[in-house]
Formats: sequence, structure tokens, C-alpha cells
Amino acid sequence: MLEFLEFAFMRKAILAVIVLSLGMAPVGCFLVLRRLSLAGEAMSHAAIPGIALAYALAGLSVLSMTLGGLIAGLGVALLSTLLARVTLLREDASMATLYLLALAGGIFLLSVRGTAVNLEGFLFGNVLGLSDGTLVLIGSSTTLTLLGMALILRPLVLQTVDPVFARSQSRHGWLIRSLFMILVVLNLIAGFRALGTLMAVGLMIVPATAARYWVNALTPMVVLAFVFGAGSGLLGLALSFWLDNVPSGPGIILVAGLVFLVSLAFGQNGLDLLGRLSGRRTRSTLSKKSTLGKGP
Amino acid sequence: MLSGEGLVLGYGNDAVAGGVDFSLSAGEILAVIGYNGSGKSTLVKSILGVTPLLGGRLRWSAGAPPAPIGYLGQLNEFDRRFPMRVIDLAATGGWAGLGFFQGAGRATRRAAEAALEQVGLSDAATLPLHKLSAGQLQRALFARTIVQDARLIILDEPFAAVDQSTEADLMALILDWSRQGRALMVVLHNLSAVLEHCSAALLMGRGRSVYGPTREVLTPERLVDRGYMAADQAALIAEASSAGSGKGDRRA
Repeated sequence: MLEFLEFAFMRKAILAVIVLSLGMAPVGCFLVLRRLSLAGEAMSHAAIPGIALAYALAGLSVLSMTLGGLIAGLGVALLSTLLARVTLLREDASMATLYLLALAGGIFLLSVRGTAVNLEGFLFGNVLGLSDGTLVLIGSSTTLTLLGMALILRPLVLQTVDPVFARSQSRHGWLIRSLFMILVVLNLIAGFRALGTLMAVGLMIVPATAARYWVNALTPMVVLAFVFGAGSGLLGLALSFWLDNVPSGPGIILVAGLVFLVSLAFGQNGLDLLGRLSGRRTRSTLSKKSTLGKGP
Repeated sequence: MLSGEGLVLGYGNDAVAGGVDFSLSAGEILAVIGYNGSGKSTLVKSILGVTPLLGGRLRWSAGAPPAPIGYLGQLNEFDRRFPMRVIDLAATGGWAGLGFFQGAGRATRRAAEAALEQVGLSDAATLPLHKLSAGQLQRALFARTIVQDARLIILDEPFAAVDQSTEADLMALILDWSRQGRALMVVLHNLSAVLEHCSAALLMGRGRSVYGPTREVLTPERLVDRGYMAADQAALIAEASSAGSGKGDRRA
């Protein structure tokens, strides 16, 4: 049953999803908490033309494809912010428009260019396609992400929970926001080879939303998101290995989806089915009310 | 602490108010009053350096703004679903002085605990934000302001969503701060609280402002003149206050 561990490509894939989850957990939690889940999805699509163009110009080079993706993804994010500022359109509308154009352009470029990259692997990820270069990319991305998040953590928290207060305390809000967006796109691009352009954002968002159902503080949420992400990665990889036709991206995200469903059903901030069944929830709410009701 | 001279407030090319003069010294509570849109929040943002002044200037007695400036603003952008406990929110008030990778240590934590005790929230210290009532949240934010330990504190409608007993407790905190020699600027709508507690007032409206001792600024004529209330309302208030205890009968 565990014979897949004997294959070098499988061991690489396992390493990749674990390291990837390590960087994606904090970034994904903030993406969810800042109500940017859909913007993250949009940016991942927006990065496609950049990657395609880099591929058309420079061939299958991890570095140039990463740069191309970063430039296109951030370009669309910045341009939609700009459009929302100077015109009547709201940011979600301008972002949706731009990313759709970018996505169409990217697929167009890939198709015209020919067959060397298969489209399915591009969209849904390909476990077999993890080169050493991709592993280095994933490792660097995670290292940069963890360092970057440590650097901007506090202003990022303030900005998210109380933006007005954050603005009163620091003039560098835009810098923090931009750094965070760069980290988002970097992680998306690092995830593309393993999970595909359609699914990469899933390993950020789904473990984070599942984790939120269980905990009420940031640190445990990030830790739990990592555990959920890495676990889904491992199981999903095994799934795509056992079932020949399942690409790794959807396999991993489906397992994450299962984790999400369980969290929704049983988490204290979800439906809390077990708690309701045993009456624990009602009692604990009542006892809290009685201690608080004392008043000052 | 600071004074404003001929301030022109607004965004871009649209001035909301001009010719705004005031001065605020340590230990003083300056009330800012005006109808919605009269420029109160713009004034606050200009002092915080968030919005640039369109004209005039701010003079800081120390040459530059103090750091940090204690600030408690309106909550329309506050995210109560953020995974954070009350004690953590209070502790964010101590983050301004920390370096990039420096952890918020025990001192901050102790300051947060002491602040929660002061606002009467010790029992709720580990509750997540989304379980708080509006009054408890405002108490928690006052605790954050205590942790900030700032020489200048600006409060923008601090009693907007709280009940009477919470307002009384928080007002007592504000008076404490003033006694400790901190300078306070408070945007308020409760005129009886202003008359009772604030030494000076800045009344804004219709593009201009009046500044001076509270009793001289908050006259019925001026309140009507600056568009804060209609003439018949002002007449009622004038009647009530001449009848004697203008404040007493507004007690809850």
C-alpha cells in the first residue's frame, strides 16, 4: 500500500506539499481573514499569461516562469486597485474583468504555442512534473514567506482587525499590503506545478477556512491550517497515485474539502453537532452569561 | 500639546471646513462637536497624519507629534470576526514601540491584564472578539488605549454604541487620563457630558468653527448658527437649563 514511497518522484512530491503547506498556511489564513479569498483565486488565474509568455520566450525555465507569473499576477492586482480608485468600477468588478482577460490570453498563448506543456497538467497540476528546479522554487518561496510574514505580522494583524487604528499608528500601510500581496502571488506560483493554476489557491484557502471552525486565536489557526494542508497534501498525493486518472491538484483539494466538511460539522465555530447533541454548548453559553452579567 | 491655526480640512480639492483654530494643552479635555459631515473626523485624521491638511498648520509644542498618539476611532471598519481574544486586542496597544522581529513580551501582557482590570473586563479576557457585546468591545478598546500610554489621546465618538452605565465607566476613565496630565480630544454628541466634563469645545459646522471655553461655545444661538440643531430644539434646551438642573433630568 505504501509502495509509492519507493519512487523518487513521489518522495519529491511529498516533500513539496509539506513545504508548500508551511508557507501557504499563514498566507492563506490572512487571505481568508482579510476577505481576499476570491481575489486570491483571481490572482492565480491572472498569473497564467505571465507564465505562458515566459514559457514562450524562454522555454521551460523555472526562474523566468516564476518572474513572469509574479509580474502578471501583481500587475492585475495593482491595475484593478488603480481602476477602482480612478474610475467608478469597484475593485471586485475590475479584478474579475482583468483576470478573465488574463486567463483567456494565457490559454490562447499556450494553445498557439503548441503542445510541449500539456494543458491538463498546467491547469490541474502534475505530480510527475516536479523538477529539482521546482523543489528549489518551493523551498525558497516558503523561506521567504516565513521570513516576510514574521516581518509584517503585527501591522498585518492591526490592518486586518482594525484598519482605522492601524492607519493612525503607521504610514506604511500600503507597503505592508503590497508585501503581503507579493507573498500571496509567490506562493501561488510555487504551488502551480504541484497543484495546477486552478487548484493552487485551494491549498491556501480550504485548510484556513477549516481551521477557523476550531479555534479563536491566530497562532493555533495557522498551525492547524498547516496540519490540515500538509495532511490533505499527503492523502491527496496517495489518491492520485492509486487512481491513475486523478490529477494531483483536485485530489489534494478534495481531501482538504473533506477536512473542511468535518470541521464544519464538528468545529466549535461550525455547526458543533457533537456539542449540541450533548447539550454542552447551551450550558457553556449560559455559564458565560452568568459570569459576565455581573457587570462592572 | 498642540494648536491648530487656520486649518483647512477636506479631501482632494473639496474643503469641508476652513479657518479652524483651537489649542489643546496637557491635562485638558477638548470636546469637538458638529453635525455629521461637518469635518470632525477629517480634523482627527489630519491630526493623526492620515489625511493631509489643505491649509493652515498644526503646531506641536514638542516640535513634532508625540508617538504613539492614543486613538480610538469609529468601528465601521472593525472586524469582530478576526480570531483574537480580548487580552490580545488590549495588548496590540503596546505594539507601537516594538522592533520588527521583537516579540511582545511579558511587560505588554501585564499592561494588558492591568488595563482589562481597569475597564472591568478581567472575566472576559480570554473571550474571542465575536462573543463580545458592543459595550464590552468598547471597554476592550479603551483597555488598548490604556496600554498605549500616550500623552495625546484622540477619541472619535467613543460612546456611539454603548449603554449608559458603560458610558459612565468610560467617562470616568477619560477624566482619569486628564488628571494624569494627558491631553484629550474627544468627538462627542452628548452635549450634557460636554458641558459637565470638558473645559474647552470646538464647534464645527457650515464650513467654519467656533473655539473657546465650553460655556461660551455651547450657547443655543451658536449651536443653531453652526447648524447643529434647529432653532426650536435650541429654545427647548435653553428653557430647560434656565429652569435649573439641565443635566440632572437626563440621568438614566
